[in-house]
Amino acid sequence: MAQQSTVSYWELIKNGIIAENTIFKLALSLCPSIAVTNNLRNGVLMGVAVLFVQTMVNATISVMRKVIHPRIRLPIFMLVISGWVTIVDMSMAAFAPDAYKQMGLYIQLIVAFASILARAEMFASKNKIAPSMVDGIGMGLGFLFALTVISFFRELLGKGSLWGMPIVNTKPLLIMILPAGGFFAVGILMALFNWIDTRFLKKSTSGAH
Amino acid sequence: MTAKDIIKIALNLVVIYVIGGLILAAVYAKTSPIMYRNAEEQKKQALKELIPDADKIEKLGDWSIHEKHAEYFIARKGEDTIGYIVQSYGKGYSSYINTLIAVDKDFKVQKINILGHAETPGLGDEIEADSFKGQFKNKDLDHLKVLKTDTTEYVQAISGATISSRAVTEDAVKNGVKFLMEKVKEGGSESGAAKHG
Repeated sequence: MAQQSTVSYWELIKNGIIAENTIFKLALSLCPSIAVTNNLRNGVLMGVAVLFVQTMVNATISVMRKVIHPRIRLPIFMLVISGWVTIVDMSMAAFAPDAYKQMGLYIQLIVAFASILARAEMFASKNKIAPSMVDGIGMGLGFLFALTVISFFRELLGKGSLWGMPIVNTKPLLIMILPAGGFFAVGILMALFNWIDTRFLKKSTSGAH
Repeated sequence: MTAKDIIKIALNLVVIYVIGGLILAAVYAKTSPIMYRNAEEQKKQALKELIPDADKIEKLGDWSIHEKHAEYFIARKGEDTIGYIVQSYGKGYSSYINTLIAVDKDFKVQKINILGHAETPGLGDEIEADSFKGQFKNKDLDHLKVLKTDTTEYVQAISGATISSRAVTEDAVKNGVKFLMEKVKEGGSESGAAKHG
């Protein structure tokens, strides 16, 4: 895992998107990847919210890592995560009410995302603030990427539309927007992602753990 | 674990939780008035859209359906009553569907608006589509019925979402209009309005 300062920021971001992609590689936070991806808009908004929370949580934990007693690190990580989620939740409700109407339910779910707690524990609590933030951005981008791809296919196949705009006038595969279709989409895309990764981007697999 | 450790841990937790609490309290203090204003604004906007001709929409009172709290309103233009708006709930497939219904003064439905629901995405959520909501225009109490066949006289069910269609039509809208008719006829619209002003 990337912990030495010799690893460039670019490597960290690439690590988050490809080698340790939250959904396609680590298979963490799979329930939001199914729950919110039945249309592209929700998928992208959720990805952006996670990107922000992940970056801020990583930064906060990294700043506090010297004063946190190791025995109680988990409750403190949870407090930091739920604190940031609540801040995002309240700010969105106040300043972006339209988006909040769509996303409000899902924002609060971020508290329970395994991926955010995992990064806080594995990376931010052992690294300086700058690499931690970059790691958060990388992991967040990876999550955003995965959610975008999944919701793109689910909305296109299930509803025949993209971002709410109709593309084809039928519903080719209604099952794709139902929960069952979420499992299909995640499974198939995960396989595809890993196939592409091992077939064409072999180098990056060495970074996985 | 020594006593020193325990004290250290307790102090650590207290300090961090207090700081966290203070930050959240500050954000809440900043955002809650804006949230409240947004909600009020949205409600006013939603009412206005239902009866665009009205220059004044006043709350008449409260009622409850499915043990949920709902409100009803009177719409005026100048001195004349031109219609009523009632909020109502229908029991759908997986949620209670929160609906606003506007009627003219003969209690014919003019427009409905779905405020909130948690029906199946892609199937039940088509109750929000204009193609479904538009069917309610000029329907009176006797024509608030869902049919699965082609119909303009009654309300045509959304294919794959009959339960949600029924919940809106035969539960939320029908009960809302029925309640409104009884209420207005028994109380007299004018005196009711004056009380709540």
